[in-house]
Amino acid sequence: MISWLSVIPVVSERKDGIYLLPACTSFEMDGSRTASNRSLQWGEKITDPVFESKNDYNTMYMLARKFGFAEQMFKNIQVENGDVSAEDILREINRGGWSTGYCGQSPERLKAHMRNQAKFDLVTLRAPKDDPEVGGDYYGLPWPCWGTPELRHPGSPILYNTNLPVSEGGGTFRARFGVERVVKRKVIENGQEVEKEEHDNLLAEGSYSVGSEIKDGYPEFTLAVLKKLGWDKDLTPREVETIQRVNPGNPDLVSWSTDLSGGIQRVAIAHGCAPYGNGKARMIAWNLPDPIPVQREVIFTSRPDLVAKYPTLPDAQQFRVPNIGFTIQKAAVDKGVVKQFPLILTSGRLVEYEGGGEESRSNKWLAELKQYMYVEINPADARDRGIRDGDWVWVSGAENRSKAKMQALITERIGKGVAWMPYHFAGWFQGVDLRSKYPKGADPFVLGESVNSLTTYGFDPATGMQEPKATLCQIEIA
Amino acid sequence: MARMKFLCDADRCIDCNACVTACKNENEVPWGINRRRVVTINDGKPGQLSVSMACMHCTDPPCAAVCPVECIFPTEDGVVLHNKDLCIGCGYCFYACPFGAPQYPQIGNFGTRGKMDKCTFCAGGGGPEAPGSAEEFAKYGSNRFGEGKLPMCAEMCSTKSLLAGDGEVIGEIYKERVVRRGYGSGAWGWLTAYHQDVET
Repeated sequence: MISWLSVIPVVSERKDGIYLLPACTSFEMDGSRTASNRSLQWGEKITDPVFESKNDYNTMYMLARKFGFAEQMFKNIQVENGDVSAEDILREINRGGWSTGYCGQSPERLKAHMRNQAKFDLVTLRAPKDDPEVGGDYYGLPWPCWGTPELRHPGSPILYNTNLPVSEGGGTFRARFGVERVVKRKVIENGQEVEKEEHDNLLAEGSYSVGSEIKDGYPEFTLAVLKKLGWDKDLTPREVETIQRVNPGNPDLVSWSTDLSGGIQRVAIAHGCAPYGNGKARMIAWNLPDPIPVQREVIFTSRPDLVAKYPTLPDAQQFRVPNIGFTIQKAAVDKGVVKQFPLILTSGRLVEYEGGGEESRSNKWLAELKQYMYVEINPADARDRGIRDGDWVWVSGAENRSKAKMQALITERIGKGVAWMPYHFAGWFQGVDLRSKYPKGADPFVLGESVNSLTTYGFDPATGMQEPKATLCQIEIA
Repeated sequence: MARMKFLCDADRCIDCNACVTACKNENEVPWGINRRRVVTINDGKPGQLSVSMACMHCTDPPCAAVCPVECIFPTEDGVVLHNKDLCIGCGYCFYACPFGAPQYPQIGNFGTRGKMDKCTFCAGGGGPEAPGSAEEFAKYGSNRFGEGKLPMCAEMCSTKSLLAGDGEVIGEIYKERVVRRGYGSGAWGWLTAYHQDVET
């Protein structure tokens, strides 16, 4: 088994409270794997973990034991001689994953899919309806796969497909944002401008999925909604009992996403309805800081003259951390950072490498194609700096006196005033080759500076995503 | 009689290097030797074009014409093979080839050349080794052709820019693209290699 180290272990002299645990790859453990098309597959362990590495489950179990909450965390999960059951972990996810429809994909159903792979249609992804094990299922039970595994929902390969009944994998737009939106609008009444409250209907109008008994929009299902429709009578006594236990004080509030029995989902689907309701698609995200995206200059901008008109959002406490983008942007403008760092720096992907590149730079055929970290510079910018193609250059970043050493690729692919770097390199830091720090045989064929050692402050207010794509730099010949 | 050809439709090549990687992996071509490579011209300018190049397995191959030991020859399928036992690494074929296909490992100081290596159309070698044998693989790489398979590079091409196979068949495929879909002619190297025009 080949293993790849990320760059973190080779900068081990840092004292920044980061601990590394030896984790094995997914080839060395059983378990469900979800792909980006929302389909799941059951993966089987191919080989035992190498060296002292452990799989994620066993590592979590050992950590939980040390912290003293293993009893609660693994209450429903079998652990035998320190080995955690992968099947039980998925069952535990199934028991709680109602809101994402991650509830119907039991290990037994996924394993049946693996056994019967050949039966699934390559285009529709569906198995023949008469198959005893996987009949009518979409391959990998793409979530939402509603209800309990016993409900045998086939999975939903296409979200928002009203041409299919929900029980066959169809779906509507989720009524995620309530049933109405109150908007204050200025209107002319009796020749005078007055402000009036208007109620916009957020539910679908005239649109519903095939087989729906409600021929209109409807809210997310709760016990109260079921009662209003008279459908609560379809709940089994056991389901009612579970709903009572979820919220003993006010069971009416228990919804499709919190009902641990799956009964609310089951009954809604039995009446042809999507458990999450039937709403309108949202084009204006009114609860985001910018309901419709507007121009905002990046924090380290090459156009400080635009910051006054298009500033970043004000400083705010977001989730657990403060976001001080505004302060940093203002300081950068006041200090005239752009004079010292006049080039825009951005980064991107090469076809030869993937992600941080640790794995693909360790593949000899791929590594041969790109053997050096480089920065793309426009011929005009290169001429100004006396840089020729292939020269070694120092690139300095706009924060923390960061710098990186790499080769220059002079090309018209990149515009004047912009520098571009691939983000797949690591293993060099501030001009120093760290190859000797890798354990013997674990060093990739190709090492180089990492572009993100040069990127600067900036976090998206809604998602916390860092700003790795737009900053400033300066380049000089090394 | 089928006549094997390569066709790279430069209108479709996206410079992904999958053909290069597939070739290297299939034939265990060592680091530094490139049987196939992707060349990009007018990089970053209007008219940028990428084309995947290897031995084109020419009609009347110029490499064979200049070889002093006559180790290069076309097979009856039109695949140009060579015999590494006879090759003296003189480098004449490199100068004769209009596509830069022949490659040489460096075997000593002062750039001493080893035996010539080039694309075999994944059809093994031109020596005495038994087709598909381990000995043949060690010297020349894979013999997919003997198993009725086409070269790995073209089989891997994700945009079907690189086509390999019977010249009649791939010519028809390309003609279909040009005539029915109105492409310009991007079949780089055909005129030089096959002494004929692509019908448009």
